[in-house]
Formats: sequence, structure tokens, C-alpha cells
Amino acid sequence: MTAHPPQAQRRAHNLVKGLIGALTRDGPSAGARSLGLVGATLAPPHPPLHCLRACLHGDPRRLFTDGCDWLRRLAAGAPDAGGLRDGRCARGFRVAARPVGRNREPVFLVSAEGEGDGHPPADTGSQVLDRLESLSRIFEQVGQLLDENEGLADEVLRSYEQLNLIFDFTQQIASLTDAEEIEKVLLHRLGRLLSASTVVTVGAGGQTRCFDFIGDELRDAALEPDRVPVAALGAELDACRTLRAVSVHAAPAARIMVCPLVRLDNRVDVLLAARPLAAGEFTSGDMLMIESLLTFGGQIISNAEIHERLRRMSLEATRALVAAIDKKDHYTSGHSERVGVLARLTGQRMGVPADQLQILEMSGLLHDVGKIGVPEEILCKPGRLTRAEYDIIKSHPRMGYEILKPIGSFGAVLDGVLYHHEAPDGSGYPEGLRGDAIPLYARIIHVADVFDALTSTRSYRAAYSFEQACEILHQEAGTRLDAQVVNVFLQVLATFRHEHPREFDALFAAEREVVNASA
Amino acid sequence: MSRILVVEDDPHILRVISLWLTRQGHQVCEARNGLAARELVQQQMPDILITDINMPGMDGLKLLEQLRNENRTPRGLVVLTNRWDHREIGESLANWGVHVVPKPFSPSKLAELIRQLDEQQCVKTSDGTGAGEVKTCEL
Repeated sequence: MTAHPPQAQRRAHNLVKGLIGALTRDGPSAGARSLGLVGATLAPPHPPLHCLRACLHGDPRRLFTDGCDWLRRLAAGAPDAGGLRDGRCARGFRVAARPVGRNREPVFLVSAEGEGDGHPPADTGSQVLDRLESLSRIFEQVGQLLDENEGLADEVLRSYEQLNLIFDFTQQIASLTDAEEIEKVLLHRLGRLLSASTVVTVGAGGQTRCFDFIGDELRDAALEPDRVPVAALGAELDACRTLRAVSVHAAPAARIMVCPLVRLDNRVDVLLAARPLAAGEFTSGDMLMIESLLTFGGQIISNAEIHERLRRMSLEATRALVAAIDKKDHYTSGHSERVGVLARLTGQRMGVPADQLQILEMSGLLHDVGKIGVPEEILCKPGRLTRAEYDIIKSHPRMGYEILKPIGSFGAVLDGVLYHHEAPDGSGYPEGLRGDAIPLYARIIHVADVFDALTSTRSYRAAYSFEQACEILHQEAGTRLDAQVVNVFLQVLATFRHEHPREFDALFAAEREVVNASA
Repeated sequence: MSRILVVEDDPHILRVISLWLTRQGHQVCEARNGLAARELVQQQMPDILITDINMPGMDGLKLLEQLRNENRTPRGLVVLTNRWDHREIGESLANWGVHVVPKPFSPSKLAELIRQLDEQQCVKTSDGTGAGEVKTCEL
């Protein structure tokens, strides 16, 4: 972002114009005076004469053409540059030059005084030189300030760029919950912030992954030890792990920043960002920025990992609980698990939002949790139940609801548990709800529950075949079961059986074992 | 290379934007609010107008509206918004054919956008079409 030569020239040009403006405001006593830049490097569109022309009477080219040899040599970059030049006369001008700036090739601030009428002004050469000397000092000072200004502007622009990247990063990860996705975004931002061409991650166990920037995208790539000498940097990697500090190293083909990403359980991944030599050195500002980005990013990733761990834990705990209940009645072993899966698949096909599907599955898993309160001799009684026994069985949805109600995070699961025996024609229990008054999740679970019960052997009857069970669902659609749900459920079942025969078999294997055992 | 009018009430941000665009080789005019910008547009129509939204006097949206009413809309319109504005009005502005750049803006993306606008203008001037077309640009 530094000013390149044409810009520096334009700036010097504007500066001279400003000085001329200030000089001509001095009034007539200042005489006819002009100021310009002369040098071999001053190229169009800002030729040196342009400035001289700004306030010189007549055509300044005469200064060059009409005998001022010395000025011509200056303009051509003559080697006799350096030091203050004598004031000289040329066709009525008194001309002086002084080298200015720190350019490699000399540039001269030139002042020409006089009317150009063939009569030199009264001032002596040294007076002209004195004036030029003070002007050039102003020129240099202002130039220095402008340089400083440019440097500060560079810094501000760089900060804006970085701030923008960090803002984008926070916005992007706000919508992400998956630790791996967040990590990918973090690596991308890190690479962009550092103008890196390659980013390598070294896990706590030493496993490496390498990514190259292809345009703005970060793609998996093979690790090239020439570019990122991970093995040679072994000691630095260890230091990074223990000190958790960012450090910078020089490799033959790149500059490398080694930075720690502290993850869950204090595991430290080491990230290496390789910046091509042409992109310049890393600054301490870069290091500070990356340190804060990674501290922040590491926290976010850890949180996502904790979130995932807790989610899995709660699902596993629920499964364990449900399996314990299913064990009470060995005929229903695996029943809840299957109802959960079938309910989820059906919900998915019916357009239940992805983030709600887990709740639906949980609800399916837990729908019979109330059976824990039903005595085993009733639950497993072979043959007909008495009315009183049946009433006890019918209390299980409400019992399940009462058991789960105190668990705040199961709030959304409760509808499915309480109402999974309600029927559209109002013949169900516990409340005898009708039609759409029955929550969708409960309608879905009801269908899955009936289907799985039919295809399982129970204490009081043998299992129906898959086809028989489907036929029964058809018959019950619209009366005991929700017609739309049955329709979708049968489609889901057919698709699932067709596309995942092995999973389908696994899911219904328990039932077969029971059938075989009883056969 | 475009004539660009930058309208922004914060003098430092204004300087940074105009310095950055000058470095890209554009000719930049500055205004500190909508009223001053409108006067400048009346004097000479810029190719591209970059304006902030929240400004004392006349804000950026009012400026755009007035220029529309007066039929003096520059060919490239860019609005700088803060993140909250961006959520609320970003979409409707994009539908107007205004390019929305959320602050803190990225200098490189702004330069890229201006370059694209430049190119579009070249296309437009060469075939004379494209007036009133809705432009959206992902920043």
C-alpha cells in the first residue's frame, strides 16, 4: 500500500504548486518568481516544466532552450548534482536549484526569478539561493509530514482490512455449531489476515493437515516440506505447545508464523501460516492480532465441542434409560429405539425443520417411559387383560409425561409422550383429542408405535408380517391413525427398506430374534 | 479511473476513503453531508457516489432520494452502512441497484467494487444499454 513513484511525483508536484500559491500571495514585492521540479525521473503526465509554467511569465521552455545549459543538464540527471546550485542568469532569469527528497535519482527544486525580458533582476545570486534554501526546507518538511501521513494511512487501511476480516469471521461463525466447520473458517481467516499461501495444522498427536489457498478458497493439499518444513520446526512446535505463544520463523521459501490453538481439555493444535517471501515480514501487530483471534477462536471451537459432547451425552443417557425400560418387557426390546428412528425419518419427509428432528426422535425414544410405572405382571401378561389392568396400561402416557415434566430441556418432547395414543376420531387416550388438535409429533409417533408393535411378537400374539402390518395401517388411516402421516410413513418405510437394507434389517433384528425364539 | 464523490461526516474516515481511492488513480471529491454533496453533484455529475447513511443535515438515504427525484443519479451508487443498518435496509437498497458496503469496510473489497463499477460503465457507454438495471454485488 505504499506510495509508488507516480504517486510520489504527483504529491511533489502538488506541493510545489502549493508553494507557488503561497509565494504569489506575497504580493508584487515577491517579484516574478517561479518554482518547479527538475529531474530525469519526473515523467509525464507531470513534466517538470509544468510547475514552472504555473506562474512564470512567458514560456518556461525558454529557460531550457534559450541557453540555460546548466538547467538542461540537471533535467537530464547530470552527475554534477549535490549541494546547492549557484544562481545563474539565463535570458533575464536568475535560476537556482537544490536537490530535494530521498529519491535514488536526483530531483531538483528549481526557482527562476525575473521577468524573462532579458534584464536579470536586481537580487544577487546568493539572495536567490537563500530564498530557495528556505523554500526547500519547507518542501522537505512538508514532504516528511506527508510521508508520515502516508504511513499512518497505510496502517489505518491495514487495520480496516483486518477489522473487516475479523467482523466477517464473527458473523460467519455465529451461524455455525459444528466445531470442524468453525475451525475451517478460522483457518481461512487466519490465512487471509496473514496473506499466507498455505496453512498447516499439527494436531496434539502430531497428525498434520495442509491447506493451500486457491484464489480465496482454502483447499486440502499435500504438505511440501520445502515450503513448510514442519519436521525442521519441531522444537518451535513443542515450544508453541508449552508456551502457547505465537512466534515467527524463516524458512527458505517462506516466512512462517507458528501459533497455538487451544482446544477442549487443553489440547493444543499448532497452526503454521506460510507467507511467501515477497509478501514481506510478519509484524508484531500481525502476531498480536493472530493471538487474540486464536484465543477467541479456540474458545468458540471448545464451546462447540462441549455442546456436541453434551448433546451426545444426553442422547446416550436417554437411550440407556429407554433400554432399561424396554428390558422390563423383553418382547418390546429395541421398540423405543425403532419408534424414535422411524418418527425422525417420517418427520424429515414431512418437512419438520432439521433442528427439530432430534426433539422428535427423543420424543419417540421416550414415548413409553411411563411404562416404568406399570407392574411387570400386567405389562407382560399373556392373554386378555381385565378392564382394571387395561386402565393401568392406559395411564402410561400421562405417567411418562409426569416423569419427564421436571426435566426442563425435555419440554418440547412432552407432547409426543402424552398424546401418542390419541386417535383422529377421538377414540384415543388420555384426553380423547380429535384430528389436528393432536400435536403433529404425537401423530407421527403413534403411527410408528403401532407399526412397530404389529411387526413385533407380543406376549399375547405373534408378529404380523411387514406387508400385513402395512395393510393394517392403511385400514386404520383416518380413524385411529392420522391419514397423512400413514401415507408418508409407508413411503418412508419403503424407501428406507430399499435404500438401506442392512440398517433396516439391523433395526428390526431384535423383533426377529424374538420371533425365532418363540417359534 | 472514475470521478468519485465521497460523502461521509467522520472527517478521518472520509480522508482514509478518499486517500485510498486517490491511490487507486481515481479523482475524488469530498463532502461532509448530504446537502454539500447535492451541491457538488449539481456542479458536476460524478461517475460514482459513495455515501454514508447517518449524517447530520441531510443523511445518505435522503440524499439518494433527492438525487432520484431530481433525476441526477450518478451511474454507480455505493452506500456505507454500519452492521445494524445493513441488516435492516441492506436488502431494499440492493433492490434499488445500490451497492451496500458494511463498515468497517474492507479497502481491498471497496477497490474491487469500484473497479467493477468502472468496467460496467465502460460496457454501458459502449453499447448504451443497462440503464435502470438492478445491480447486486456480494461484498
